[in-house]
Amino acid sequence: METLPIVALPANDAALQKLLANHGLVLTPAETRRVADLLGRDPTLVELHIFNTMWSEHCSYKSSRAILKKFLPTSGPRVVLGPVEDAGVVRVATHAGKSWCVVVGHESHNHPSQVVPYEGAATGVGGILRDIYCMGADVFGVLDSLRFGDPEGPNGPRVREIARGVVDGISGYANPVGVPNLGGETLFASAFDDNCLVNVVALGLVEESRVVRSRVPAAAADEDYVLLLFGKPTDDSGFGGAAFASVDLDEEDVDANRGAVQAPDPFLKRVLAVALREVLDHLDRAGVAFGLKDLGAGGIACVTSELAHAGGFGAEVDLDAVPVSLPDLPAEVIACAETQERFCLALPRSAVDPVLEIFNERFELPRVSEGARAAVIGRVLKAPRFVLRHQGRPVCDAEVAAVTEGIRHDRERRPRPAPRFGPPAGPKRLELDAGAAVQRLLGSIGGASRRPIYRHYDTEVQGHAVIRPGEADAAVVTPVPGAPFGVAVACDGDPWIGLLDPWAAGASAVEEAVRNVAAVGGRALCITDCLNYGSPEVAEVMQDFHEGVRGIADACRALGVIDDDRAIDGTPLPVVSGNVSFYNQSATGGAVAPSPVVACVGWIPDHSRALTLDLKEPGSLLVLVGERRAELGGSALARLYPDLEAGPPRPVDLERSAQEIRATIDAIERGLVLAAHDIAAGGIAQAAAEMLFAGRHARPKLGLRLDLDAMADSPDVDPAGRLFGETPGFLLEVSAAGLEPLLAAYRRYGLWVRQVGAVRASGALSATWHGRDLLRLDAAELARRWENGLAGVLA
Amino acid sequence: MNPTVAVLRLPGVNCETETLAACAAVGLRPLLVQWNDAPTALAGAAGCVLPGGFSYQDRIRAGAVAAKEPIIAALHSLAAAGKPILGICNGAQVLVESGLVPALEPGRVQVALAPNADPGYECRWVHLAADPTSASPFARALSAQGPIPMPIAHAEGRFTSREDGLMEALQHAGQLAFHYVDAAGEANGDYNPNGSALDTAGLVNPAGNVLALMPHPERATWLRQVPFWLPGPWGERRRAAQGRLDLLDGPGPGRVIFAALARAAREHAA
Repeated sequence: METLPIVALPANDAALQKLLANHGLVLTPAETRRVADLLGRDPTLVELHIFNTMWSEHCSYKSSRAILKKFLPTSGPRVVLGPVEDAGVVRVATHAGKSWCVVVGHESHNHPSQVVPYEGAATGVGGILRDIYCMGADVFGVLDSLRFGDPEGPNGPRVREIARGVVDGISGYANPVGVPNLGGETLFASAFDDNCLVNVVALGLVEESRVVRSRVPAAAADEDYVLLLFGKPTDDSGFGGAAFASVDLDEEDVDANRGAVQAPDPFLKRVLAVALREVLDHLDRAGVAFGLKDLGAGGIACVTSELAHAGGFGAEVDLDAVPVSLPDLPAEVIACAETQERFCLALPRSAVDPVLEIFNERFELPRVSEGARAAVIGRVLKAPRFVLRHQGRPVCDAEVAAVTEGIRHDRERRPRPAPRFGPPAGPKRLELDAGAAVQRLLGSIGGASRRPIYRHYDTEVQGHAVIRPGEADAAVVTPVPGAPFGVAVACDGDPWIGLLDPWAAGASAVEEAVRNVAAVGGRALCITDCLNYGSPEVAEVMQDFHEGVRGIADACRALGVIDDDRAIDGTPLPVVSGNVSFYNQSATGGAVAPSPVVACVGWIPDHSRALTLDLKEPGSLLVLVGERRAELGGSALARLYPDLEAGPPRPVDLERSAQEIRATIDAIERGLVLAAHDIAAGGIAQAAAEMLFAGRHARPKLGLRLDLDAMADSPDVDPAGRLFGETPGFLLEVSAAGLEPLLAAYRRYGLWVRQVGAVRASGALSATWHGRDLLRLDAAELARRWENGLAGVLA
Repeated sequence: MNPTVAVLRLPGVNCETETLAACAAVGLRPLLVQWNDAPTALAGAAGCVLPGGFSYQDRIRAGAVAAKEPIIAALHSLAAAGKPILGICNGAQVLVESGLVPALEPGRVQVALAPNADPGYECRWVHLAADPTSASPFARALSAQGPIPMPIAHAEGRFTSREDGLMEALQHAGQLAFHYVDAAGEANGDYNPNGSALDTAGLVNPAGNVLALMPHPERATWLRQVPFWLPGPWGERRRAAQGRLDLLDGPGPGRVIFAALARAAREHAA
């Protein structure tokens, strides 16, 4: 056997810790000794770096895996592929004899975006796009959930710099690749002053028979298979990136942090995506069995070992065959750098030449982007070994399973003391000037229009938009030209609920996302989750995480899948993909608010029924589904008026939500509704104003009169609760003639439903309470506040 | 026999799929031609579309590098033969950078598409109207109608020139074939999205067969692509089509541009 360049591990833990630190490794001494046990000898430096990445929280889910497995439903009749590879796959509809599936993935890029906002956010988009492409799909949209600090707080200048950089990074990447933005959400809270969150969802379309798997196919048992790397030449960017994402962020350590963030290249990505489509079509026509996986965390070492192990094989990679853009890169850098815009194909040696021809000649990768190319870098082994060679000798030689199977940590959990709340309502709430509060809410950073953000995103490319960001609670697209079905998608999460009730944070994130999809008429097919928390080494954080996951699972079971097929109807809503992001806390100690973010993908059998939220005609009526309550804890109003007697947060009633969601989809499909809007942050005040303004860009033509007395039956619910309460519900516009059929339709579901307003031709938003005007606001003036509320943050 | 129109894919273009579909919708036979295909692939076509995107990453200036591709020479031959050429967004930038418009002296770069007056990439719906005096077949197709809505999506869309009086002379000659207006056809409010000189949205060569257009007609080729809330007759049509798939799959406002392309291509296919 050839000799390996072994690093002798000192017997003393302090000395070992020092050795690890000298190499920039975050493996603990105990973990390092487990590596040696697995190998049956001391590791090489390359092996240490590989395990450093593969055993990071980011790659191994070592603290979260058991909890996710315990709670989350991941299968279902429509699930083609659950959370086992880079993205989940669900069956949507059959059209013209083809079964069409949506591929969905969800990623976070929090630490990199905090350090270098533009590159961090851009590579976050880039990474999730690769996850979708490598399933054989064409990407048809991205969404982003962003959490920034308080732009008016002590860290305000840095917060604004980060917010601008992140928005520029998202647009600077997704626009050139030609992927439309389908919305998302952007929230500002001091709990994110030291750690922003940048979560990205990407959606793709693939025919069911052409889903590509990230594994070496079984045919490799009988045929000579090779590993073909294509894309950007490898450099030293992103070296240690996964490990960087798996420790507390020390923003002072600027140089080390920057080195861990990769450089985005959306231009090359576009060319690669188009070339890859031709390669996939070619391999399909030729009947070649192959596997495909993108390079992300852990680079070449991770992608080749995982492709091989998933298929039951081993792999041998010649690091000298890897195209590089820098001379004299050490073996561990070539093996583990996280250079962007790379993929790896496993295919028969006999099929290599035409594929190289497509990448290197037809698409001229080396000419259009310096150093980019496709090259064979290794071969599949029948034996389950993972071997890396560099300069003629092995630098890694391990059981492939040892490399890929990761480790587990059972973390301690401890509940936080339950927050105490005073009773809701009281004299201070009665003193509230409702008109002034509506003006303040609509002009606030939280309540203002998000157009200053999404105006920079291409929402039109690919030409399939039916409902765009800002036009409704969810975006709707028609990804299959000529097919009647639409895909609806939205994402949601409420960090203020996260601070008050970690279970409710998970449950209400699912509830809100599914409600958003229902408000356009969409039936939920699946969800994905991105779970953003502090350090798992803190017992209270682990408990927050545990409760958040339990909340998600409870909501998935309560809301269920809604389908025409009775055998499917009511099965738990599956979680088909997701991401866990721990260590969202800074070296100075501040952890983010528990932030489970959920994306819901739904479908509409007939996209012509998809509904926007803007009010359509004077003389129509406004209907409220869901009685208002007095609780204002965690609400937008309570944030604007910290002295307000807010009381506890809104209770979560999943059974009622399930009925409201079903009834609303039903009413929209039957054409009973003119406009629909989910009630969330800011309550009816925010929702009603948005129905007046949406899409018209501060030129409202209609007015709206609200009747507060009708919004709750209980006299204990004061005007603040009625107008600003965030109990989930829907506001619906209905024609006068359509009122009774609509009320009857909701009553059949046993739901509370009332007429609470009327649409006027005049441009005012007004509200009455006990027969007198509680507020009367000029709609155009209010719209200007709403349009300009974010101007100072993003200008 | 339907004429063949080439859709030219330069590296980094990202609107080729929907542009091919828009060409097919008006009865053309679209042929995807890649930057390194033989120039003869263009020579046989009755016209050409340059779709939007970010060719060569907008290095130097948008369109500047792509304009140096050898295949652009074949475009000059097409233009000289009077065949229709439509450059959309980045395609318009390539036409400007290769001197195919305004082409007072073909090949000379006389006009630029500068960064938007309010800097940064912006995506939004705008309205445009045709110059009724323009002889361009693209403008003639639209001038009978009122203003039509289309989306823009660019960071560098402001037509400008360093030559004093050039833009005014082009306007006088009818070469500023399309300009931004509001929904009522007036110059009120923020109707001009990028500060373009003389509100120019589209510029043609003297013969009018080559059009550099910043808005995206392929994203407004079907009624379903029109936003609900849009003011004017197209918004009304969209709202009235709620629940009607057949109407939503009907033509949108931008199709008139491709219809004009098809008519001109047919004249040259014979």
